[in-house]
Amino acid sequence: MLKTELLSQLQLQNDQHLKDAIGIFQNLKEEELLRPSASGGWSIAQCLEHLNSYGDFYLPLLKKVVTVEASRNTPYYTSGWLGDYFTKAMDPRTGTKKMKAFKNHTPSGSLDAHKVVAVFIQQLEDLHRYLDMALQADLGKRLPISISKLVRLKAGDVFRFLIAHNERHVQQARRNLIR
Amino acid sequence: MELTDQLALLKQVIFSLAPLTDPQWERMAAIWQPFAARRKEILTTEGTVEKYVYFVTSGVQRVYYYDEYGREATIVFTYAPSFGGVIDAMLLQEPSAYFYETLTTSSFLRASASALLLLMDEDKDIAGIIHKGVVRALSGIMERMAELQSYSSEEKFRKLLSRSPHILQLVPHKYLANYLGIDPTNFSKLINKIRI
Repeated sequence: MLKTELLSQLQLQNDQHLKDAIGIFQNLKEEELLRPSASGGWSIAQCLEHLNSYGDFYLPLLKKVVTVEASRNTPYYTSGWLGDYFTKAMDPRTGTKKMKAFKNHTPSGSLDAHKVVAVFIQQLEDLHRYLDMALQADLGKRLPISISKLVRLKAGDVFRFLIAHNERHVQQARRNLIR
Repeated sequence: MELTDQLALLKQVIFSLAPLTDPQWERMAAIWQPFAARRKEILTTEGTVEKYVYFVTSGVQRVYYYDEYGREATIVFTYAPSFGGVIDAMLLQEPSAYFYETLTTSSFLRASASALLLLMDEDKDIAGIIHKGVVRALSGIMERMAELQSYSSEEKFRKLLSRSPHILQLVPHKYLANYLGIDPTNFSKLINKIRI
């Protein structure tokens, strides 16, 4: 796939997440953000806190990749098979299976709800900037993943995975609005 | 928005300051070109000369101060239909003390400062319109200064909502809290307290 095409697709999705966070989530009252889902599942704040814990891990790694100009830079990007698999499993359009959150990514029940939303918006803004810079970067560089030291994914797949994962839980958070 | 619609909007705003004759308007209209920017693009950097004057036709932008200690002050938000850019640096042709950035995807008409300054030199009526526009902006800034120094956080918040009701849905709260000079935590308390 053309790198420009991949990055502009990801940017479009990320922009929609920003619109949801700014247009909807940040303007909810604390009690609405903290209310568990109808089935007793995560509140909106918990969904976003879960995403923040991924951002905390991956954004500094992505920042490093995009701030170094690539010595090897091709106009095309090819996903790794594992990166592709993880992304598709996370993307709510292709991965419908329910998953259980890993322990280090399980959100607490007592949260500073508006702070969580503010951090989420900050992370999406950072991601937006890194996607812009990624055109000059080597997206084939391998990065470790948060749940195992043994597996490494291409930076391009980390972008894809992270944004598919955001999509999954932003949708979940939005479902909490319809009551 | 089509260029003709953007120009019609510009004409409306300019004529609300003072009318121009058809030939005057044609000369004025000729210096503007369409310009678009995505979210979080810095259009003017501190320390550089402001080369353009902007007329906003969609989106939200801000002029802000940012220094080496990481101190930040959001001076003004701009949105359609109004002028944007760092106006003092543009008219004085001096390095800007501020940044101008988009906060959402934005579209503009944009004219080069030199073209506008030349028109103002050649045509007293056009210079008069710009003068009036700048004085209006000055009134707005003086009004805000008074509010910043005397209003409570809640009053500032309510004033912002009455002046720009849609801004809460378009701009992250951190910029709004910064603009009002209140702590983000207090901003969240106002969101909880006040019916939007």
